[in-house]
Amino acid sequence: MNNLLNIALPVFYFALVWAYGKAFFSDKAWAKHVKRTILVSTIAVHLFALAYRTMVFRHPPVTTVFEIFTVLACSITVTYFIIELRTQRKETGYFILNLAFFFQLASSIFIKDTPVVPEILRSPLFGIHVSFALIGYAAITIAGAYGLMYLMLYHEMKAVKFGVIYKKLPTLETMERMTFTAVKLAFLLLGVAILFGFIWLHQAIAHPNYFDPKLVGTIIVWAMYAFLVIAKTRYSWKGRKVMILSILGFLISLFSMTIINIFFSAFHKFY
Amino acid sequence: MNLLCAGISHHTAPLDVRERLWFSSEEIRRTLPLLKPLGVGESVMFSTCNRTELYSLTEQSSIPSDEIKKILISQKSADGNVQESDLFTLTGGDAARHLFRVASGIDSMVLGDVQILAQVKEGFHLATELGTAGFFMNRLFQLAFRAGKRSRTETEIGDGAVSVSYAAVELAEKIFDDMQKKTALVIGAGETADLTATHLRGKDIGRLFITNRTQSRAEELAAKVQGEVVPFDRWTDIVHDVDIIISSVEVNRFILTAPDIERLLDRHGSKTLFIIDIGVPRNIDPDVKNFENVFLYDLDTLNLMVEENLQKRRAEIPKVESVITEVLAELTHWYSSLEVNPTITALTQFMENIRQEELAKNINRFDPKDRELAELVTKRIINKIIHAPIVNLRTEPEASLSDRLQKMSAIQKLFGLSRTSKDGSDV
Repeated sequence: MNNLLNIALPVFYFALVWAYGKAFFSDKAWAKHVKRTILVSTIAVHLFALAYRTMVFRHPPVTTVFEIFTVLACSITVTYFIIELRTQRKETGYFILNLAFFFQLASSIFIKDTPVVPEILRSPLFGIHVSFALIGYAAITIAGAYGLMYLMLYHEMKAVKFGVIYKKLPTLETMERMTFTAVKLAFLLLGVAILFGFIWLHQAIAHPNYFDPKLVGTIIVWAMYAFLVIAKTRYSWKGRKVMILSILGFLISLFSMTIINIFFSAFHKFY
Repeated sequence: MNLLCAGISHHTAPLDVRERLWFSSEEIRRTLPLLKPLGVGESVMFSTCNRTELYSLTEQSSIPSDEIKKILISQKSADGNVQESDLFTLTGGDAARHLFRVASGIDSMVLGDVQILAQVKEGFHLATELGTAGFFMNRLFQLAFRAGKRSRTETEIGDGAVSVSYAAVELAEKIFDDMQKKTALVIGAGETADLTATHLRGKDIGRLFITNRTQSRAEELAAKVQGEVVPFDRWTDIVHDVDIIISSVEVNRFILTAPDIERLLDRHGSKTLFIIDIGVPRNIDPDVKNFENVFLYDLDTLNLMVEENLQKRRAEIPKVESVITEVLAELTHWYSSLEVNPTITALTQFMENIRQEELAKNINRFDPKDRELAELVTKRIINKIIHAPIVNLRTEPEASLSDRLQKMSAIQKLFGLSRTSKDGSDV
């Protein structure tokens, strides 16, 4: 069953991205009709898969990078669904859900069964740390996606090419506002995650290495978002450079979550 | 169907002729009742800057198109200036198709024009108010509105700006979220500046500054668009507060240069600036567009945009024609269903079905020798019931076509005959 769900999830995400893509680029009426149904079905299947995995392995699926990826994919999709419901804007779905698809695909390919959980991961502090980090990363991903969409529209308008991006995406100001809301959220949530991570670290490991690449990477990402928040609120930064930074923040956090975590980090690997 | 459309449009006559046949609402009120003596049962008329059209439903089979044309010309005292040959006439299905094309915007001078549907509606409401639009015109125009609405929702015939001034505003709307919070500066008070300022006001722009060399023209435009006048030698003082600049003045040097913008951004920090330069020669230094978050568009860009949008609209015409064909089929179906003979046949069949059904249910209650009599008696009862309505439908030549159609429709509705046609589709 677990394997079946593991295969089914990327298939659902592929169908989701395909329907949103068809609706966005080809204006297909059938795609416009079915995409919401596929979105709800994907979320339902994903939540069931997470609950099932938690039940089978007796711990929430947040103990390895690829377990975190599947939860992250689910968080991004649910967050997008809330945005779509609240704003009734469905044009940005293709870009955001593509990232969720990427995380789910990577998770489905590389995820391993983890029946035994190390004792240090049973701490409630760890639970708080991971929860905040996950929602923070979902916000980072959404900020990155909106930043990318902003730049696509910005360059289309600067280059006087008025194609499908120009026609379908919301205004530059809307995307800037959404990006900055996500950036503020990411900064706040990641800050709380780091704080609880530090407290937990002292309880879990006797002599932690404060220069661990994962820790340094996360601090850099957080510092970058802090810089973004200050630059925008205090120095009225706006437009293109804010968007470039939000995309850069997403790429660094992705690098930190994957390459650094897997190959360079000492304490952030538990298996 | 004895439908006639007589009119004049940009396809058939130049502006100086069209303007002589432009009818105000009051003139339409005076004209429509004059058609009654010609045997016109129902009529609707609308008049815009590009067309004047009169739709009439006549009682007799020969349609008095020449007389109707004469009335239109004489009502405007345009004899000598407008010839009967300047007016076109269409009859029957062609007239209905033409109306649907007009309502859909594909017959307009500006392809996909959105205003025409409202103007057609206005004409219909006026006729309803005057009592010249009856049963037939009501159906015809409701279908025309449907054709217009469907064309706009199911196709892209109305998408994209097709005028330079609107293209400018549409571009601004792709950058700014809430125009009410934005400030615009219009430099110049010529025709394009006027139109752009009007469109900006139509989009509820927050503050609208107008500046022009001739201050009186700036004041005139400002009064029209509820703007604020800035003296021409002082407009640079407010540039830092402005989000949108529309420039359309005759100058022999740039009025806003790249160094000006650089100074502005240095002094006031990063800001999004949207600039439209519709002046010839250009008013704004083209290098301005190299600054981050500064969007500059000139006349060529806007013209290109308009042409691209027009091409896209032209490509949508076949889709609109399909919509029109569908709606026209609906009209034809409805109209033919209201003809006398099919209605009588349907009514007779309806009654006969009831008779046979009830007789079959109760036939065993009759003695076998009485069954033939029961058959005969029930048939007689049915025939007597439907005799009067049939005679009434067939022998009322004095009733108007509109009345007959209405009567036919009432019978179909009362007996549930109009639900399905011969081919089973809804009528």
